[in-house]
Amino acid sequence: MAESPQLSAEQARAALREAGTRAAQVYRSDRQLSWMLLVVAAAYLAVGAVMSFSPHHGRTYAGLAVLLMLAAAIGAGVVIGLRIRAYSRAGNIWYFSSIIAFNLWNAGVTGASIATGFWASGQPSYHFGLSVIVAIIPLLIGALVIGRRT
Amino acid sequence: MTHPRRDLDDLLGHPVRFSVVALLAAADRAEFGFVRDHVEVSDSVLSKQMSALEDAGYVKVHKGYVESRPRTWLSLTRQGRQRFERHLAALGEIAAGKAMPARAS
Repeated sequence: MAESPQLSAEQARAALREAGTRAAQVYRSDRQLSWMLLVVAAAYLAVGAVMSFSPHHGRTYAGLAVLLMLAAAIGAGVVIGLRIRAYSRAGNIWYFSSIIAFNLWNAGVTGASIATGFWASGQPSYHFGLSVIVAIIPLLIGALVIGRRT
Repeated sequence: MTHPRRDLDDLLGHPVRFSVVALLAAADRAEFGFVRDHVEVSDSVLSKQMSALEDAGYVKVHKGYVESRPRTWLSLTRQGRQRFERHLAALGEIAAGKAMPARAS
């Protein structure tokens, strides 16, 4: 690109194309955020499955399995987080909006379960799995939107 | 008719500075190494251009640590973003051929 006095239309178009290319490079880096959301969704889904289908809820290896899965998710999150070298504002907003929606849903379900007495040792645990399926929807939407930006 | 080149920013006329600012315009923050690798310049060249951009108030440098290793993050200031958008608008006008001088009748 030449200095402004000699700038031709073709050179201006080339500069505009380059600006678009640079933006795409940042959006590609944003995909790490998408992977982080998917890791959280996968870990939560796995925890939900264990909690829902464990025949001896709270008594056998379910607790240990949940802890291991959460530790694996945190480890994966840290590894992915360290690989993030650039992020866009839109990517950031989608990421945190997804996490906030996920947490709001969980807080709502927890609060309602406690208030209604549904969250008790004698109650069936399948409702936890159902709640998990709903909870990960914003994470999947966020991951999809961030991952598809070019 | 005012020629759109008057809205071009002299500082952004430099190819490396233009590339750096174009990258940072899309980013909230970008690591120094990310910018260096994508703009394909050496550390020293990028540092020199960053100093010019920082002195002009276009770019902000954030220093921190990740796993006890120093890491430098770069971001555009509001002024830098406004100047870049104005520069892009001028480029758009030139690219569209609005820079042609009016014919004398």
